[in-house]
Amino acid sequence: MSTVVTPPESGSNAEATPPSGPTHRRIAWHLRHGPKRELWLAWSTLVVFYNLFFPMVFVVAQVQPPPAPAWDLATQVHYFHERHLGIPIGLGFIFAITGMTAVNNALIAYSMRRMSISRAFGYSYLLIYSLSALPGLLLLCIALIVATLRPERDPKVLGWLYDFAFLSFDGTMGVFLIGSLIWMVAILIDKNRVFPKWFGYLNLCNALTEVVVAPCWIFGRGVLAWNGQIAWWLDMVVFGVYQVTFIVMLFQMIRREDFGTGPMPDLPRKRATAS
Amino acid sequence: MPLKFNKRLLVVWVVLASFTLAYLWIDHSVDGSLRPNAVVTSSVIVIALIKVRIIFREFMEVRQAPALLCRLTDAWVVLIGVGLFSCYIVGLTLG
Amino acid sequence: MTDLTDKNKRATFVPGQPDMWAFVLFETLVFTAYFGFYLFYRAKSPELFLHGQAQLDLRIGVFNTLVLLLSSWSVARCVQSARVGAFRAALRDVYITAACAAIFLFFKVFEWARLVRNGNGIDSSDFFTYYFFLTGIHFVHLLIGFVVLGVVVYQLRSAARRSQELVETCATYWHTVDFLWVLIFALLYVVR
Repeated sequence: MSTVVTPPESGSNAEATPPSGPTHRRIAWHLRHGPKRELWLAWSTLVVFYNLFFPMVFVVAQVQPPPAPAWDLATQVHYFHERHLGIPIGLGFIFAITGMTAVNNALIAYSMRRMSISRAFGYSYLLIYSLSALPGLLLLCIALIVATLRPERDPKVLGWLYDFAFLSFDGTMGVFLIGSLIWMVAILIDKNRVFPKWFGYLNLCNALTEVVVAPCWIFGRGVLAWNGQIAWWLDMVVFGVYQVTFIVMLFQMIRREDFGTGPMPDLPRKRATAS
Repeated sequence: MPLKFNKRLLVVWVVLASFTLAYLWIDHSVDGSLRPNAVVTSSVIVIALIKVRIIFREFMEVRQAPALLCRLTDAWVVLIGVGLFSCYIVGLTLG
Repeated sequence: MTDLTDKNKRATFVPGQPDMWAFVLFETLVFTAYFGFYLFYRAKSPELFLHGQAQLDLRIGVFNTLVLLLSSWSVARCVQSARVGAFRAALRDVYITAACAAIFLFFKVFEWARLVRNGNGIDSSDFFTYYFFLTGIHFVHLLIGFVVLGVVVYQLRSAARRSQELVETCATYWHTVDFLWVLIFALLYVVR
């Protein structure tokens, strides 16, 4: 763990250095007195969330990769029938842990507070991403679970729920787009070097994939449909790169954090070892 | 000094414009026939890649960049070419 | 002695932020993937794509390409002018770039409107799906380019700013918009 010695006037109490000694004592110290414990807790929440999200959505509920928009009603009814257990369990679980995304958003907003920019950035990001959880995740969960709860429902209603779920998930990327752009602008005009500029540009790449998904409202088939090779598969590759990168960048940020208000220090270079 | 560089840039633009106008000639030479033509497609792609490389080296000043950037941009031109041609060829074989 | 160091100094500099180069290379890969899908599906059903392509006017495409290449020329000139301190010339060059971009924009929208009026919308055929998608996403990059050019103008106008690195970074972005169009034009308008 980082053994950052915070200067005495920086707000934390006098025992700023962890004690040497057995590991369990050091861990206990970090849990009780470590100045970064909230940050690490937030970051761990982020990692835990994604480690739960992907298996639940892809494996348990099996609603991603998404099915085809153009299936006829009978196939759609069968789709729900196949997942009559998986969807309630998987998406119900996701619905229950959605609150974790608030912690994720808070950590990102924190990174913007550490920057040399207006507080408006952090707060508007929080606002937008909090709102986006509704169409971006919760509606999908609700619509799909509702669809599986009464299999004897009129197929037309099931078809409506099917469209509603996937369109609200893939078609409301505009909100995430704006959020990404806010973070991007924040990173690019920041003078505290919280993140390298290339990460700001990567936010732009991510934002642009959200533009690419927008036409899914128009297409029932083809590469731009909500399950299309460009709108879903290629976008997932870019999104995956972005996800992994931002988790790593937040990790680095927490390690570098000095709780000051000026430029963030870089990580100390590893001593050159024989390699 | 600026005048000398500006002339070079202008020459570069003229070269790129000529390649672009060459497309008109290519199009004219296959005009009318609504048939696929692999030779035309391949040469069009190659010309486009040449233009991209010229833009990299002259307009984007990669000529005066460290070797790493020179090699990266050249590798990218090759990568684009390989990507385009493989998709085209696979499509042709499966079509 | 100065000759030697001069030669070494002139030999290598990265134009603009390396970060922007990372973005350029990454975005190029993404676009190459889009082009790959296009070429694959085009090769599979050539008649459909040829029929759609016949609705395009090659002359507008050529004109737009020349205009965008001109904008690259002027922004490259701007970088060089700024480098030697000729800031008024650099500003003039960036305004020329913006003018070229505006001309491109105008003709692109005009072209789209004409196609849609003739019944060729984004969902009228696979060819037009790719056409509007590729030119559309490029258009978005162009619009961002206006913001980027704005940054250049902002930098050049005040003696307190004028970061050469930032001007070069913005120029690098602009050239990317240009060379992506070079590829898009070749693939949509000329390929058979």
